[in-house]
Amino acid sequence: MEIPYTVTARPDTGLWNAKIGVWLFLASEVMLFGGLFSSYIFLRLGADYFWPIHELNVKMGCFNTAVLIGSSVTIVMAWAGVKMRNYKMYFWNLLITILCAFLFLSVKFFEYKAKIEHYGVVLKDGTILLGHQPEEGYRYKFNADAVTLNFKEADPAYFMRYATKAFAEHGGAHDEHGGAATPTLPIEGVKFKTEDGKVTTLATNDFLSLKAAAKEAKKDSVKLTPVEPIGFNVQLLPQRLASHSDKTLAFLDGTVVEGKMVSDKMELHVDVIDTRAAPDADKSMAWAIMKDAGWKHAFDEAREEHLKKFKESHPGDDPMKSDHYLREALRFEIHGETPAAHEANHKQGLGFFHDMPWAEHHYPTVQIEAKDIQRWSNFLPKWNTYYAIYFTITGLHGAHVLAGALVMLYFLVFNSRWFKTDPEHLANRVETGGLFWHFVDLVWIFLFPLLYLL
Amino acid sequence: MANSPEEVAKHVKTYLKVGIALLFLTAVTVWLSYVDFGTHSRNMTIGLAVATFKTSLVVLIFMHMNHERPLIYKFMLFSMLLLGVMFTLFVFVRDDGLLLKGYEAVFGKH
Amino acid sequence: MSATTLTHDHAHDDHAHDHAHHEPGWLYKYIFSTDHKVIGVQYGISGLLFLLFGFFLMMVMRWTIAYPGVPLPGIEFLSGLPVIGDVVTHWTERWAPGGIVSPDLYNMFGAMHGTIMVFMGIVPLGFAAFGNYVMPLQIGAIDMAFPKLNAWSFWLFFIGGMLMMASFFLPTGAAQTGWTNYSPLATTTHYIVKNTWLTGQTWWLAAMVFVISSSLLGSVNFITTLLNLRVRGMTFFRLPFFCWAMLVTSFLLLLAFPPLEVAAILQLFDRVFGSSFFLPTGLIQGGKLLDISGGGSPLLYQHLFWFLAHPEVYVLILPAFAIISDVIPCNARRPLWGYKMMVYSALTLGFLSFLVWAHHMYLTGMGTTMATYFQITTVLISVPSVILLTCLMISLWGGSIRFNTQMLFASAFLPMFGIGGLTGLPLAFSFIDLHLHDTYYVIGHFHYVVAPGTIFALFAGVYHWFPKVTGRFMNDTLGKLHFWPSLLFMNVIFGPMFVQGFAGFHRRWYDGGKAFESTTQDLLWTNELISFGAWGLAISQVPFIVNLWLSIKGGKKVTNDNPWGATTLEWCTPTPPGHGNFLSEPVTYRGPYEYSVPGHDSDFTPQFDGQAPGASAPAATPPVASHH
Ligand code: HEM
Ligand SMILES: [Cu+2]
Repeated sequence: MEIPYTVTARPDTGLWNAKIGVWLFLASEVMLFGGLFSSYIFLRLGADYFWPIHELNVKMGCFNTAVLIGSSVTIVMAWAGVKMRNYKMYFWNLLITILCAFLFLSVKFFEYKAKIEHYGVVLKDGTILLGHQPEEGYRYKFNADAVTLNFKEADPAYFMRYATKAFAEHGGAHDEHGGAATPTLPIEGVKFKTEDGKVTTLATNDFLSLKAAAKEAKKDSVKLTPVEPIGFNVQLLPQRLASHSDKTLAFLDGTVVEGKMVSDKMELHVDVIDTRAAPDADKSMAWAIMKDAGWKHAFDEAREEHLKKFKESHPGDDPMKSDHYLREALRFEIHGETPAAHEANHKQGLGFFHDMPWAEHHYPTVQIEAKDIQRWSNFLPKWNTYYAIYFTITGLHGAHVLAGALVMLYFLVFNSRWFKTDPEHLANRVETGGLFWHFVDLVWIFLFPLLYLL
Repeated sequence: MANSPEEVAKHVKTYLKVGIALLFLTAVTVWLSYVDFGTHSRNMTIGLAVATFKTSLVVLIFMHMNHERPLIYKFMLFSMLLLGVMFTLFVFVRDDGLLLKGYEAVFGKH
Repeated sequence: MSATTLTHDHAHDDHAHDHAHHEPGWLYKYIFSTDHKVIGVQYGISGLLFLLFGFFLMMVMRWTIAYPGVPLPGIEFLSGLPVIGDVVTHWTERWAPGGIVSPDLYNMFGAMHGTIMVFMGIVPLGFAAFGNYVMPLQIGAIDMAFPKLNAWSFWLFFIGGMLMMASFFLPTGAAQTGWTNYSPLATTTHYIVKNTWLTGQTWWLAAMVFVISSSLLGSVNFITTLLNLRVRGMTFFRLPFFCWAMLVTSFLLLLAFPPLEVAAILQLFDRVFGSSFFLPTGLIQGGKLLDISGGGSPLLYQHLFWFLAHPEVYVLILPAFAIISDVIPCNARRPLWGYKMMVYSALTLGFLSFLVWAHHMYLTGMGTTMATYFQITTVLISVPSVILLTCLMISLWGGSIRFNTQMLFASAFLPMFGIGGLTGLPLAFSFIDLHLHDTYYVIGHFHYVVAPGTIFALFAGVYHWFPKVTGRFMNDTLGKLHFWPSLLFMNVIFGPMFVQGFAGFHRRWYDGGKAFESTTQDLLWTNELISFGAWGLAISQVPFIVNLWLSIKGGKKVTNDNPWGATTLEWCTPTPPGHGNFLSEPVTYRGPYEYSVPGHDSDFTPQFDGQAPGASAPAATPPVASHH
């Protein structure tokens, strides 16, 4: 008793089961990616910022496109190999297809990595600085006078991760710990005094007895003061704070720390100054932050150059209405540690591979006051809706690539023996796998221009 | 579908040619995206036209949609139709004024 | 190949053995089975349990609506129980201090009631349970086209369901933002917390991704089976309407669910990765500007959601029509009137249901052009609905009706669905909807369609196919004790809601409108009335549960494979059907509804009857399967 039409086609529909199945699945995938593309359109039409163009690594995207196209050819060749009863042709083409899939994913990994390590900072006037952060990331350094636990959700293991020795008061990002990630104190090592004078720590058992005592006294919070001065060195990514000010830090479990903010300056190795959203590029806050007046000068020169070019190629048009011009002229890319180095690099030419992960770079380092920052993030979905949709669509697409690769690997390992015993069944398998694979390729053919180029 | 070995063998060359055409068109897409056509929507239209052409090659040749069973055309046409509905209505409902804008673009403002 | 005759006079236990050559272990026979019938029953049982649980949530809500601020009865009793007592105590302390339902709890139960009823109760029952069990039998298939995939569908659904249930015990509780889960509210509820992965809102989304994937796999399976595994002679226009309805439902699931999957994934990103797909610029929560990029659109969520959710309402109703279209002809002993018209209506309905979704969004500020478009399509879609209903009513004409329990439920379905559908019409007009949107009127409208509509149809289905599934009848007296009070209380519950809706009662008031006493006082008593209706309805389900339970082991034995004298192929299988379903491959000789055909010996001529006049088995679908 077997299910009919698993290998041969049913005469009236002309199809075998899995072929109907995979096409139906693709119809549903059309709607899935259709929904995502509709969202893309929706978000792009509604974007209240400059939609990034050519901001992803075009070379890598282009390379990956070629990889997928190549694998589309090989998978259909693998199918043809089975049909022509040519084992070598089948085997090698299928193998190459799978390897291409993993090559694609590896390249994608490096693209993602570059974005995760890259930050954007929106200044109060709308100017955007892009760049990298020092290894320890952006941290608030805060000296604590008192810690109030809120028992409903308090979780000492969570916020005590950030407890360190107190910071020196003179401030600045570089403190007595030398700027490197400050060692945290072990949770048993930090002693607190309760309001009625008892000394305790926040290690599990002590915390539970504190909680029990509070319950007895019908209180749901307790205020503790550190016996020896402590500080909190909070890395702001991935941590999010409920709130903060000069005098308080509130963690997400309801714990409130009172004391004094020692430093909330961000250090950034700036590689792009984007003044498009600032009311006046010449008065952008960036220039004060960049300190060296040479940067403004370099910016002006570049802008002049682009303006000249624009006037030549589009006589009579208003440059301020051309996205292309604005992007070239008001979004200033930095290619050196100092203005002089930047100029020199420019004269010399950047080299074809200057934007690849292995290229070395030197950028000016600046300090940005927290009060000047409107918001900041690395280039993850949080940064803007463009990166949000970029990661979502390419992430889902990547998941499809992985799934396709695994399925084809399964065919290669477990079904290849059918080549002798049941070649038509094998051909069907490769055909279904191939149909899915072509679809994945097809989605990418749209993704590449929509996300990288246009 | 006629899928005899001889017939498949004939197709193999086509597959290679299509692959090369696709690579070439990718290069074209990249190049076109750096050309300033004046307005961005022109870049958009041109880029998407090339992409659509590329996908139709994949669909017709690699996925054998140039000679498929009617049933499969029906599935795909139906889902493409719904996709069209989704694309257009989402945009129109988002901004009803769009119809008006289109009108104004053609006939000028009142 | 000979036709399988009607009345096999064989011991039923015998062939159950014939078919289980390679006896699989208990675990693989009943739990991880790939047999469509077992999977159907699994869906059925889980669906019924979810339905019961969802109903329980609603009863708690009805309590606070009727008696705001009054402690829930029975909490003390539950807290005193062994094993679960502690959990209940702990949980009520958090969510219903002093036994008084907190607003958060009300929201939570409201959201979960809707979600569970729609996605975990009705769809799994109507589509997955009945579809899985009956559809392959009706087309003469030995199983679904992809049995393993079928099992996967069930287990994905199961995982999703369990995630939903488990989310009640998270510190933040389960989702609290309605079954529609609108952003930005849904995104920003329990948003600034230590770990957004561990919140009910997030689990809701994750669970939905599982449930949706389950439905997608299921629908691929259904369609492939319907297209490719039809037995010889089963041409498209000999398919019972049941199968057509399942086909259309499958297409709705296949093509409408992906956009919801997109919505769920995007909202998941918004919650856990901080993106702003559905969050507008400048969003303020609790007086504070949120640390988000903004630039997203709440409307986008609504589009993606309703693009699914309107077709979804037809996913809820089409399986009901499927069941009724089998029960009514069989018990009226009349052919289904206008079979072809019904098929075309179902197809039209399926297609149009994709074009009307924004009638749920009239109040989002869409312009008049688009509103007009959606009003027109919405009014259009009621035409095929009315055709379906009318055909079923006319089928009763001139019949000699057997009023057994399933027929009672089926005949009650007709007017109940009628009320539900007709009350939808005013909502189709944006200017009337302005007044009625988000009031109890809408609640009344769709509940009339789904509760005394679909759920009655499901009950009819249970009574109808129970003998085939278990080999025993359900008790008819208990059945009537189940039906009459259910019919009464359904109307006590949902009837007054129209009145409340006209009076402007908002659908999400947690105190039933007490806070607005100056305008609502005249009608506050209806809250109590409705709540009593709900408790009455609960009591009316006791006979059903007892009946179901007792009949499995103690019901009257079925002695005839076709006890109702029905015409479709599932009635030529042994009772209950073994693995592989049919003793020999059946052949279809005629259309699905040959009841009381003049000139035939009996008042029904089954599709598998090759002797009666008019038999033919077209060779367009050749008989021999390639692999045997
Ligand atoms: C026959 C014609 C029908 C028409 C013209 C119609 C029309 C409408 C309209 C316009 C609304 C939106 C009301 C509002 O939110 O202000 C609505 C809501 C609803 N309808 Fe119908 N409907 C019909 C049939 C059905 C059927 C067959 C079902 C399902 C089984 C159904 C289920 C629902 C549900 C669940 C809602 C409420 C969703 C929510 O807001 O939570 N309707 N209907
Ligand atoms: Cu609707």
